[in-house]
Amino acid sequence: MRDFAERLIAYETRGNKSSETKAPAAFLVSEKLRPHLASLMGKVGFRELLSRALVLANAEIPWLRAVRVKADGSFEGLDELGAQVGPDEIFEGRVILLAQLLGLLVTFIGEDLTLRLVREVWPKLSLNNLDFGKGDKNEKPK
Amino acid sequence: MKSQNDTDKRKLTKTVVSQPAKVTIRKLPSGVRGLDDILGGGIPEFSFNIIAGTPGCGKTTMAHQIVFANATVKKPALFFTVLGEPALKMLRYQQQYSFFDESKLGKAIRFINLADVVLEKDLNAVFDEITKQVMAINPGIVVVDSFRTVMRTAVVGAGEMEMQLFIQRLALFLASWEATTFLVGEYDPAEIRDNPLFTIADGLFWLSQRAERNSVVRKLQIVKVRGQNSVPGLHTIRISDGGLQAFSRTLGFVLKNKKPARRRRLSVGIPELDKMMGGGVLEGDSLLVAGPSGTGKSALATQFIAAGLRNGEPGIIAIFEERPKGYTDRADSFGLNLETPQKNGKLEILYLRPLDLSVDEAMQEILDAVVRVGAKRLVIDSLVGLEMALAPGFREDFRESLYRMIVALTGAGVTILSTVEVEDTFTGFSFSHYTISFLTDDIIRLRYVEIDGQLRKVMVVIKMRGGNHSKDIREYVITGKGMVLIHPRSTDYDGLTTGIPERTGPRLAQEEEAAPEPKATK
Repeated sequence: MRDFAERLIAYETRGNKSSETKAPAAFLVSEKLRPHLASLMGKVGFRELLSRALVLANAEIPWLRAVRVKADGSFEGLDELGAQVGPDEIFEGRVILLAQLLGLLVTFIGEDLTLRLVREVWPKLSLNNLDFGKGDKNEKPK
Repeated sequence: MKSQNDTDKRKLTKTVVSQPAKVTIRKLPSGVRGLDDILGGGIPEFSFNIIAGTPGCGKTTMAHQIVFANATVKKPALFFTVLGEPALKMLRYQQQYSFFDESKLGKAIRFINLADVVLEKDLNAVFDEITKQVMAINPGIVVVDSFRTVMRTAVVGAGEMEMQLFIQRLALFLASWEATTFLVGEYDPAEIRDNPLFTIADGLFWLSQRAERNSVVRKLQIVKVRGQNSVPGLHTIRISDGGLQAFSRTLGFVLKNKKPARRRRLSVGIPELDKMMGGGVLEGDSLLVAGPSGTGKSALATQFIAAGLRNGEPGIIAIFEERPKGYTDRADSFGLNLETPQKNGKLEILYLRPLDLSVDEAMQEILDAVVRVGAKRLVIDSLVGLEMALAPGFREDFRESLYRMIVALTGAGVTILSTVEVEDTFTGFSFSHYTISFLTDDIIRLRYVEIDGQLRKVMVVIKMRGGNHSKDIREYVITGKGMVLIHPRSTDYDGLTTGIPERTGPRLAQEEEAAPEPKATK
């Protein structure tokens, strides 16, 4: 699922190599997914799914424990963390969080429907040779 | 003087004015097998419908089937979910059905969650959200699941009049946008009288389920559908991998062939029995073979089918107790090959799994097989087995459904041989304890008789509706060639039909018989 999350983030940051853009881009992916998923499952449904993804991501990224999901499905607490956590760590946290969110979607509705949902948001995104089974634990490749 | 031309023109004008063309209501396919027949051809386009019923009887699945059957990119479907089954779970479960086509999601089928609007706002906001989405997407099909939730919120937050107004506005808006609408909800039959929703709706599809001993029986009733004739009454439904399937009470059975005006005599595969029947069974007749266990009913049925196959008449054998392998093995032992015609598509041995069938479902399986192979002969072996294969709750409908199927099939020229097991008593001579004799044109009775220290078998043709028949009681045996009639009628006994006849003629010298009836091998 990490591969899937990274591709989405890379697509959002395409053409911009600066490390400063890493964190906003990762955040933007979740934000772009939010209205589509909320339209499908309601704000409450999206919030619950994202909260569960956050709990799962907490196990891998301890600093995410300071982050909360608001009623509308957006995050709070990220700005405050900016000073304490480096951009690479923030980037890694958001990759894991996105991977967990995508993983939950795959668990519930399967790979095919998850890809269709993602393609509705990013119709031109290439997802060829995506291996859902790879990197189950979302570890960073060495 | 006015010309003939003028008169003709006037006549034409008058005709046009007095007989304006009626609107043609297009009928949409429901995607539910059997439902279109029940509805009278399909779902009326632009109609406003309710799919109602208790939890778990297939309302959402039916709505999905309708959506998947009709949604296209040009004319998409809008599926509004409210507080019922969450969309994520709905997609999770519904994709298990074979009708679910992932490629339609997104462009042809869109799911919109209305829960936030229903929870946070009022009916006007719900209406505004629906209209906004409909105007943006211009759908051909609109589903609200569950509409009951919307109404429940409305009852709390608004008055009855406001609720009625909301339904009225919604119905008018969706019709004017040329959408065919389905409101899905859990309703109680008692609500039909007072709930304005049911008055406004053009179509009301009522689903129900009830437990019958150890079986669950699901039913569908088309309480109303405006503008067309639906089949009244309760129809069995089943939910399987293909989704919901409905079994019309009339079996929706229209074969292209009709019973021929001049009917042939068909061989039953036993020349002596053909003679007794005046040349064979009449094409399109229903023949009942009644007898106790071991008298050769299945042997006769096998010979009947084999005779048809030799004559180029495809057949169906519907069995409920014995497995198909046992049936073909017995045929083999009679020198009758049932394997090759099965491979060639000329014969199907239909083994219907026992104990949980609905009667209409069983009949539909048989009818489908008849249509599939173009069968001219059908064996039902046996009626007792068929009844036992049904869920207990359906057994009371058994005779009625059987009657409908037999009438439909024989009306189409299919010749049916049914077997029924009856107990031999030594006083009476019953044909069937099912009192189904009225379903049959012809009856052959097999029975055991005690003669000269042996339990032998005799048969008699009881009834031939289409003509005269032999009144002889004939002894038969089952040999390596199947059932064979061995002696002309006996005039040396009285009371053969009681099973314990009295000798009236001279006792003949009896030869020792080591094996009077070679048992079928293999």
